[in-house]
Amino acid sequence: MIGVYRELEGSMRLAAHVLRRFWVLKLPPVAEELARQIYFTGASATATIVIRGALVGTLIIAYVIEVLNADVNLAVKMLLWVVLREIGPLIAAVLVIQRSGTAVATELALMKISGEIASLRRLRIDPQDFLVVPRVVGIALANTALTVYVQFIAVGGGMVLSALVIDASLGEMAGSFFLLASPLDLVYSMAKSLLFGAAIGVIACYYGLNPPGDSINAVPKAAISAVTQATLAVMLLNIMFAYLVYGSALFGLFTALQ
Amino acid sequence: MSAAAGVALGYEPLAEEDRGAGRLWIAAGGSHVVPAVGAAFKNVLLSAVLELRPRKEARVVVLGAETDALSPRARAGLRAQIAFLPANGGLISHLNGWENIALPLGFHDPARLRGLAPEVYAMLEQFGADARSLLGRLPEQMTLYEKKLAGYVRMRLGRPRLVLAEDAGAGLGAGERGRVAGFAAAYLADCPEGTFVQLADVPDESG
Repeated sequence: MIGVYRELEGSMRLAAHVLRRFWVLKLPPVAEELARQIYFTGASATATIVIRGALVGTLIIAYVIEVLNADVNLAVKMLLWVVLREIGPLIAAVLVIQRSGTAVATELALMKISGEIASLRRLRIDPQDFLVVPRVVGIALANTALTVYVQFIAVGGGMVLSALVIDASLGEMAGSFFLLASPLDLVYSMAKSLLFGAAIGVIACYYGLNPPGDSINAVPKAAISAVTQATLAVMLLNIMFAYLVYGSALFGLFTALQ
Repeated sequence: MSAAAGVALGYEPLAEEDRGAGRLWIAAGGSHVVPAVGAAFKNVLLSAVLELRPRKEARVVVLGAETDALSPRARAGLRAQIAFLPANGGLISHLNGWENIALPLGFHDPARLRGLAPEVYAMLEQFGADARSLLGRLPEQMTLYEKKLAGYVRMRLGRPRLVLAEDAGAGLGAGERGRVAGFAAAYLADCPEGTFVQLADVPDESG
């Protein structure tokens, strides 16, 4: 219990540090780290993450349409409420945890064990400024961008598939979709993605900077803890978001009943 | 007990029984070698000098200042004048040579980054390195000598008044050791008022 409290407190302190020291991003070495992180999490992962995400999103829609025997209206609502608001941000977050969360935790744990963190301190550089701030911001931004890609392809794929399965034209589907969708849906999912990404970054950095030991065995342990806790945090944040925005922990039922 | 003025580095244990063996008193200016520094004492000395905090076990003087009487502001100012040069260069593994060398300046004096390249090239070539190649490589692609040299150049750019260097010759061949021996002289030529203190390793008696 004390361990859980310590980890929670450590992660919160790290998040506060990122907010307090946001300005260090304008320093050239930190800006380079940010660009590197965005490239690694966002650009270099785009193809694999978007394809996997879009496949999962489209598959969910295919099952839902089949099981619920959906018409155009229900299929579009599913695309909007399930894929755009929920599945898109979640899939992107889970894939970013798998790829970048593990990479960041492993890299930082290795740096700690090999004495590079101590080297930074001896250069009068705060490791949290140089390593944590750009990674958290980079993962948050890249996760948001990936979410938009996943949503775009998953919704597009879902529409094409729905149009084929329920015998409706693509134009009819798209028309219904844009009638129901509002810019707030996009803002909601992007705000969620930003928060998911920041949480993943903070947790991965926390476990990377605090590996459970000084031997090389501590590195995979740090990565496993980062993945487990980041997944849990994303799920909890998702529930909190749904509760705060819709006033009901059972998000989906509330809007579906309208 | 000597006066602190004119002292670059002083470390004097407060316990009577430790005073003989653990005392270190180095005058400001020039190059100095502290022979046979064990790992434990090296760690104590480095944390005393680099943290500059009051210590219960010893009186510590750095660049003429008693470290137990420093305000946080004075401590930060003094710390900016001290550099540590680890035996392996202390490079960061995911940064290439140039990024490693420019890293401290990027944090502490970004305005100097512009126009830095000629200075870095000159220093690297002075010690026989192919600057263009070294600057583009990651530490894992460098030889030990190149890592030491990159760390040295990075240290020089900070223009410290006191340099604490680990045994720079360790792990090198004869030719490279000769070049590394010139590190202190080149630093002092550039910074005549500086002090270069090399902490020599305890001789290996196993073989």
